[in-house]
Amino acid sequence: MLRPERNVGFLRLLATAVLGLLAVAACNSTTPSTTTTSTVIKIGILSDCLGDFGSFFNDDLGGALAVLAAHYGGKASGPLPKDGMTGAVIAGKQINIVGFGCSDSTASKAIEETRRLVEQLGADIMIGPLSGDEGIAVANYAKTNQPNKTFLNGISGAQDATLKVQAPNFFRFNPDGAQWSSGLGAYAYNKLGWRTAAVIGDDYAFPYTSLAGFIAEFCAVGGNVTQRVWPPLGTTDYSSFVAQLNPTTYDGLFVGVGGAGLITFLKQYQQVNGSLKTQHIMGNTFWPDPQLLHAIGTPMVGAVAASGIAADDTSAQTTAYKNELAIYPATQKDAASVFTLGYWSAMTALGLALTAVNGDISGNQKALQTQLAKTVVDGPYGKISLDSNRQAVFDNWIVQITAPATSGGDPGIHTILRIPNVDQTFGGFFSPTTPAPDRTNPTCTKKTPPPWVGNEVPVTFGP
Amino acid sequence: MIAGPGPRSRSSRIPQWVALGVLALFLAGAPSVVDSFTLSQILTKALWLGIAAASLIFLSSYGGMISLGQTGIYAVAGFTMANLVHAEGGKNLGWDPVAATAAGIVVATAFGLLCGAIASRSYGIYFLMITLAISVIVFYFFAQVTTLSGYGGIRSVTPPAVIGNPVLNPLPLYYTALVASILVYVGIRYLARTPFGIALQGIRDDPARMQALGYNVALHRALAFGVGAFIASIAGILSVWYTTQVSPGGVNVAQTINILIIAVVGGLYRLEGAWIGALVFSLIDNYSRVWLPNVGDWLGPERFETVIGVIFLVIVLASPGGLVGIWESVWARRNRAMRGPVEGSGTVADVVDEAVEPHAVQSRR
Amino acid sequence: MSSQFDLRIVPRLVLALAGAAVVAWIAYKGLQDGRIFWIVTLNGITLAALFFVVSAGFTLIFGLMRVVNMAHGSLYLLAGYIAFTIQTNNYGVSSNLLSGSPATVTSWIVPLVIATGVIGVVGVVMQQVFLRWNQGQDLRQALITIAISVILADQMVAHFGGIAESIQQPAAWPDSVQLFGVRYGFFRLVVVVGAAVAIGALLFLVIKRTRFGMIIRAGVDDRAMVSALGVNIQLVFAGAFFIGALLAGLAGALGGTMIAVQPGNDSAFLLDSLIVVIIGGMGSLGGAAIGSVALGLVNSYADVYLKFGTTDLTNYAILLTFVLVVAMLAVRPLGLFGRPA
Repeated sequence: MLRPERNVGFLRLLATAVLGLLAVAACNSTTPSTTTTSTVIKIGILSDCLGDFGSFFNDDLGGALAVLAAHYGGKASGPLPKDGMTGAVIAGKQINIVGFGCSDSTASKAIEETRRLVEQLGADIMIGPLSGDEGIAVANYAKTNQPNKTFLNGISGAQDATLKVQAPNFFRFNPDGAQWSSGLGAYAYNKLGWRTAAVIGDDYAFPYTSLAGFIAEFCAVGGNVTQRVWPPLGTTDYSSFVAQLNPTTYDGLFVGVGGAGLITFLKQYQQVNGSLKTQHIMGNTFWPDPQLLHAIGTPMVGAVAASGIAADDTSAQTTAYKNELAIYPATQKDAASVFTLGYWSAMTALGLALTAVNGDISGNQKALQTQLAKTVVDGPYGKISLDSNRQAVFDNWIVQITAPATSGGDPGIHTILRIPNVDQTFGGFFSPTTPAPDRTNPTCTKKTPPPWVGNEVPVTFGP
Repeated sequence: MIAGPGPRSRSSRIPQWVALGVLALFLAGAPSVVDSFTLSQILTKALWLGIAAASLIFLSSYGGMISLGQTGIYAVAGFTMANLVHAEGGKNLGWDPVAATAAGIVVATAFGLLCGAIASRSYGIYFLMITLAISVIVFYFFAQVTTLSGYGGIRSVTPPAVIGNPVLNPLPLYYTALVASILVYVGIRYLARTPFGIALQGIRDDPARMQALGYNVALHRALAFGVGAFIASIAGILSVWYTTQVSPGGVNVAQTINILIIAVVGGLYRLEGAWIGALVFSLIDNYSRVWLPNVGDWLGPERFETVIGVIFLVIVLASPGGLVGIWESVWARRNRAMRGPVEGSGTVADVVDEAVEPHAVQSRR
Repeated sequence: MSSQFDLRIVPRLVLALAGAAVVAWIAYKGLQDGRIFWIVTLNGITLAALFFVVSAGFTLIFGLMRVVNMAHGSLYLLAGYIAFTIQTNNYGVSSNLLSGSPATVTSWIVPLVIATGVIGVVGVVMQQVFLRWNQGQDLRQALITIAISVILADQMVAHFGGIAESIQQPAAWPDSVQLFGVRYGFFRLVVVVGAAVAIGALLFLVIKRTRFGMIIRAGVDDRAMVSALGVNIQLVFAGAFFIGALLAGLAGALGGTMIAVQPGNDSAFLLDSLIVVIIGGMGSLGGAAIGSVALGLVNSYADVYLKFGTTDLTNYAILLTFVLVVAMLAVRPLGLFGRPA
């Protein structure tokens, strides 16, 4: 038991410690300017530097900062994007990157980092976050707590972040997970002849959305989804789930397993089922990512996936985009990554809008927000505009994995179809009142197919 | 085992409650000294994290039980409350926030009593593992039962009207957390002097002897765990109001370890250590992102976990009494240097060691 | 008097009934679809093999030194990363997996051996620097190893990134084998299970038939007496810790080939080791074997067979595992074959 005299000692210690620490905190705390100074615009960029997507941190930042370097005079402070950038000027206003938020794909950390950037460091405009759950949380925060600041999404792809939350100051210039799967359902039914399909995806928001896009379209044109398998959070071993997928019971399998698990899953699926029959397997937007394609390998040749990126496009547009990224060579190598593109689109849109309003962020940034809603980004892979809910409408691409150009190299990507003007609602299939995608939703119903079914445009790029 | 009277400090005549009162007044005045971000992201966070750590330190310091289950229990409180009020995601039952708070605390305390009943017969490492399993079960439960956890979290949880919107106006939440912390601290101190508290400390020191004396050891430990659960549930409710949302990702194994780190850094056997540790943790969490220099891949603004892990390791190696213990031994050494050796006491190290880890000292004998 | 109903029989009856119900359910499901049953059972057995290798080390360290090495999972993961790095950088094996990888037997064995050895050394160093001088303070040692695991986990993310990597098995080895009409992964079934069996046999021989093993057995029973008898107990401890870490390292290289090397594996396999030794009993190798099989089978069956009609409870499989652990700890805290301190 603690004796009285020691108790006082502790309290004295406590008082001294708190005094000291408060003094430190007071000296170091900066009062964020609530009034915008007329010559500086503060921007914060939030991404994941930990967790599953932590390795894309520099790609995300690089995509955004490269825009400032290429068009607005930004100078890199170091070889890596996370070293920072100074000297950018848009419409006569100095751009001050107040900080980079480092989250770990959880909503709570994303909110903490957003608050640090906005409330402590005084960001006027935020770009980010990265993951699905984070996007919904940040959109809510923007709507409820910071209506006078502007938030542009990084690459978060959960449907609800715009469809349900509808924050007037949250702008998403990248498609949601469902949009990224557009075109695949109809392709499976019409071109591959699938009538029944099984789906597998990780048990959290983004795969729900990604698979929902496939299911909505596949079922709308008449297909039937017979099995849905959801490996829970933290699965490292997919063997039990592979066991549940019996290829004789379905025409095709749509794989929405992401990142880390995809390699393991495909490996184990092949071991149990023999070779991967690529007419009967299909992937979502995770597949054409360069870092993951490096690991997938030649057995996947022939498989079809969807992508927001037509990686083999060599048009002037795409070349210009890749050149813009030259300031960060590592990021430029990953130009075909959706992560880079998402952050690039956000910063491009912001630059265009700020220029159009002459850098005016006064009056609760209303002028900027109105302008952003009308901004069209002429991206490397098509135009990106916003719908009435500030959600991107864009062109999706169906790609096919091709044999490596050199033996021992990575497989390539051959774009075969363009899916024009994909909107978030899938032509009315999804609305603010439809249940959010989850383990059982959307249900498989035959409906009017989305407007792009039947309007796919075959494309061929390059030699 | 009983050491001598120990070094006497000069101001032993100042009643404890006066010192506490001065400190409370000081903290009450903090809002006029610091800006609202520090108030919210550092101080308020330190206050509720401190309450969570205090529940752990209560159990370890007075009950001799190091528990990793506090995060699971405060998750139960937070999720219960979030499901009952208006929020986005979850059950959204629309209860009055105050009633929902009470319900959350009641449910979590009941859950804690149940866990305590299960764990009451285990000691040491086994107790640590049961409580770790409890936190992990709670995490996976909420991660899988998405109707209760809102598919990635329950957002925009409505706090009571008196709290308002903690993001736009952090003051009411700060004062609530401050008052709660003071009540928790005073309450635990009071409890320690009651027959129950004294019996608990006896059980901490020698369970076999207490059993022989006729005390129901398992019951006492289970009840103590319930008290710890009550305290943890307060922290859980405050945490939900603070972040305006609750999600499985915020109550995972990493958070369990964080609470342990806070308690150990502050001082596992000193109640004040809970808030000291929490304050240090919040400061490092926030400022490491700005101040940490980049040293190759080893160090950088993202390497907060490394920094806190190293501090944790150093504290465990050097001073089991945590930061409070370090201060205590420095102060005691100063007093001893001024007064010369005190009759009847061993070395300062013995005095400190006896206070910080009486059980371990006994087991070494 | 003797006709008084013994209340203690009630929980045992309940347990027995529950066990019978579970077996009946699995048998029923198994008969419905034999192919899935075989695959799932093999999944469980192969997982159990991996669990055994990693938890044998854990239980040895605890049984002898009363050290709960919470950094055991970190050692497992670090071994995987080291083996992967050596295979990729020194042998140029591209992570073009699934494609009949260009790895050779040499470029798989050498990284495995090196990684295992390095981890063994890391383990001994960890023990000598951090754990040797505070023996007996088991809670404090648990805290120390927790701190080490936190630091290691963060540093591994910093150095190796967050993407999952995979160690390539030798190209000469087949991808899968046929067993009872079912195709199954060769590496899992032959190499991992074979390694586990070999290690189990080796450990059994060492523990039961060598002098070193005899000292270990005696030390598990009564440390003070062994020391009093003039044995250099510190050397024995270091040796045992070395073996324990070696096993974790070997498991890491095997697991990295069988599944993947990715962040999160450290806490996952630590929890798995804890569960295995809780079920089997601290300090008992036989217990570790039984615990591994139990955990592997429960994991695999629950993932697939927790479906009753249209109600799909398979997402709660992981909960089931932990609930069983808590039940075991509450009912029989020392596990099946454990002994009190």
